[in-house]
Amino acid sequence: MIVKIAFKNIWRNKLRSWVVIIAIALGIFGGLAVISTATGLSKMRQNNAIRTYVSHLQLHDSAYLKYGRLDDTINQQADIITYLEKSKKVKGISPRLKVESFIQSAGGTSGVILNGIDPEKERQVTDLAEQCIAGNFLERYKQKPPIIISQKLATKLNARVKTTIQCSFTNNMGVPITGIFKVVDIFSTSNSMYDELNAFVRLEDLQHLTSIQGSHEIAVVLHEEKEVEQFREELISKFPNQHIASWRGIAPDLGYADKMMDLVMTLFLIIIMLALAFGIVNTMLMAVLERKKELGMLISVGMNKRKVFWMIIWESIFLALIAGPLGIFSTYLAVNFFGRVGIDLSFAAQGLRSIGLESTLFPILDDKYYVIISILVIITAILSCIYPALKALKLNPAETLRTA
Amino acid sequence: MIKVTHVTKTYDDGKVRVEALRGINVEIKNGEFTAIVGPSGSGKTTLLNIIGGLDTPTEGNVIIGETNIAHLSENQLIDFRLNHIGFVFQSYNLIPVLTAKENVEFLMLLQNKSEAERDERTTKLLKAVGLEDQINKKPNEMSGGQQQRVAVARALASKPDFILADEPTANLDSASTANLLDIMYRLNQEENMTFVFSTHDQRVIDRAKRVITVEDGKILSDIYA
Ligand SMILES: Nc1ncnc2c1ncn2[C@@H]1O[C@H](COP(=O)(O)OP(=O)(O)OP(=O)(O)O)[C@@H](O)[C@H]1O
Ligand SMILES: [Mg+2]
Repeated sequence: MIVKIAFKNIWRNKLRSWVVIIAIALGIFGGLAVISTATGLSKMRQNNAIRTYVSHLQLHDSAYLKYGRLDDTINQQADIITYLEKSKKVKGISPRLKVESFIQSAGGTSGVILNGIDPEKERQVTDLAEQCIAGNFLERYKQKPPIIISQKLATKLNARVKTTIQCSFTNNMGVPITGIFKVVDIFSTSNSMYDELNAFVRLEDLQHLTSIQGSHEIAVVLHEEKEVEQFREELISKFPNQHIASWRGIAPDLGYADKMMDLVMTLFLIIIMLALAFGIVNTMLMAVLERKKELGMLISVGMNKRKVFWMIIWESIFLALIAGPLGIFSTYLAVNFFGRVGIDLSFAAQGLRSIGLESTLFPILDDKYYVIISILVIITAILSCIYPALKALKLNPAETLRTA
Repeated sequence: MIKVTHVTKTYDDGKVRVEALRGINVEIKNGEFTAIVGPSGSGKTTLLNIIGGLDTPTEGNVIIGETNIAHLSENQLIDFRLNHIGFVFQSYNLIPVLTAKENVEFLMLLQNKSEAERDERTTKLLKAVGLEDQINKKPNEMSGGQQQRVAVARALASKPDFILADEPTANLDSASTANLLDIMYRLNQEENMTFVFSTHDQRVIDRAKRVITVEDGKILSDIYA
C-alpha cells in the first residue's frame, strides 16, 4: 500500500518528476558516454602504439638488454622462429638487427638506431609501411642499399628521398665501419621520440655490413590482444634464456594510462552521483514541504513514522528505477551504435595524430560500468532522500493542520 | 469515555506566552453528540487536539477508556490514534492520489485488517454516507461535501472509540452541511458512535445534544439540549 501510494505520488507533479528522471538519465548517459569515450581513446592510443612500434611481444637475448653488444644476438633464433611460426596464436613475426650508429648527410648529423628488417615480415607486425609517404618500403634503389628515415630526422639532416646518407659505427672487433644508404622513403609515427631515434634498412644489408647473422630482436603480434600475457608465459617456459616482454613491459606508459583512467572514472562517477544526489534531495524536499498538510494528516490519523519514512524513500527509489534503466539503455544503444560506426573526429585529425590518435573514435564500455552505475544510482537515490524523509518525520501534525 | 482533568496548555516560543487552555475539566460519555463552541481563538482546536492525542497538555490528564494519553510517547500516540480515534478535519482529509474506496480502506490497511473485512466494511461505510456510486472517484473529482462524507467514512473505518471533528462543515455550503450532519447524527443514533465536533455554525450547534462553550481557554457553559 505504502509502495503503491508512493508510486502514485510521483505522478502528482508529472513535469517535476520527468525533469528529475530525465536529469538522472542524462547524468548516467553523460557519465557513461565520457567513460566510454575515454576508454575508447585510451584503447586507440594503445592499439596505435602497439601497431606502429611496440607490437605485442618482443624477444631479446638477455645479454643484449644488459650490454647492447653487437654480437649479443638471439642464440636460439631458428628454434624460436619455428616455434612462433607454428603457433596458431601468432599473426606475424619480424626479426630485427639493431645497430647504434652515427648518421650523416651533407646537411647534418645525428645518432640513430639502424633497424635491419625484412620488409615483408615487418609488414605483418607493424604498420610502418603505411606510415611512409612515398610508398617505397625498402625496395632496392639503384644498387645502393635503401634506408627509411623519419620526417623528423630528415629535417634534422636536411635529407629528402634520394638523398645519400652515411652511417658509421664500430663493429664488435672495434673496427670502424661505414655504410652508404639511399633514402627511399620518409615515415612519421605518432611518437616523435621514436621517430628521431629509428631508421630502417634491409636486414640482409645490415647483416652484410656488420658481418653478423641473426637478429637482436624478434617482434611478435598475435591475433588476439587478450592472449598476450598467457602467450608470453608460454614462451618464457619454452625459451627461458630469452628476455620476453609484452607491450605492457615495453611501453609501461600505455598501461599506466589504463590505471589513470580508472582513477578518472571513479572521480567522474562520484561527480555524477553527487549531481544526482543533489537533484533528488532538492526534488524530494520540495515534494515533502509541498505536502506538509497531507503528511500531517497521515500522521494524525495514525500512519506511523516508519511508514511515512518509507513512503518518501520509495518515491525516490521509483524515480531512480525509472531513470536508471532509461539512462543505461540509451547509453547501451549509443555505445553499441558508435562502437560499430565510430565517432568521426576528422575535424580535429591533425591535433589527434600528434598525440597518437586517429580520427575515428570507437567508444568502449566495459559491462562492469553498467552494473556499477546501476548500483550507484540506486544507492545514491536512497541515500539522498533520507534527509527529505527525515524532514517529513519532524512534522508536527497539530501544527501542520492548524495552518489551514 | 473521555475524561479531561485539570488540563492546561501553554504555548511558549520563548518570546510570546499564550495560555490556550487554563484548566479544563470535562467528561464525555460514549454515545454523546457534542459540539464545542466559542469565539475564534478561545481554544476549541487546542482542546480537540489534546483530546485526540495530536498535542499533549502542559498540565492535567486526558483519559480515554483506560488509557491516560497525556503520558504516551509520540509513537504510542500515533498507534493510539490509529486504533481509538477517528478524525475529520476541516480540509486536507483525504489522500489525493487514492480513490474514495482506497481512502476509506487506508486505515484498515494500517491496522492489517484482512482484505475481506476491508472490502466489506468499506462498501458498508460508503453506503452509509451515501457514496456507494462514487467509490472509484478521486478526491478532486468529488464535491467538498462528498469529500467530507468520505472523511467520515474513513474515520469510522478503523472502529474508533469516538470521532473528533474540528469544524467539519466550515468549508461547506448549507445543503452539504445539513447532509453531513444528517449522516453524523444518524451514525450517532444507529451505531451509538460518539461525536465531538467544534463549530461556529449556529445550524450545527442547533443539532448538537450537548454544547460546551469555551472562552479564553476555560469552559464557560456546558448545556445538554
Ligand atoms: N502553536 C501555537 N503557538 C502559539 N499559540 C498558539 C498555537 N496554537 C494556538 N495558539 C493560540 O492558542 C489560542 C487558542 O487557539 P485555538 O486554535 O485553539 O482557537 P480556536 O478556538 O480553535 O479558534 P478558531 O475558532 O479560530 O479555530 C489562540 O490564541 C492561538 O493563537
Ligand atoms: Mg480552531
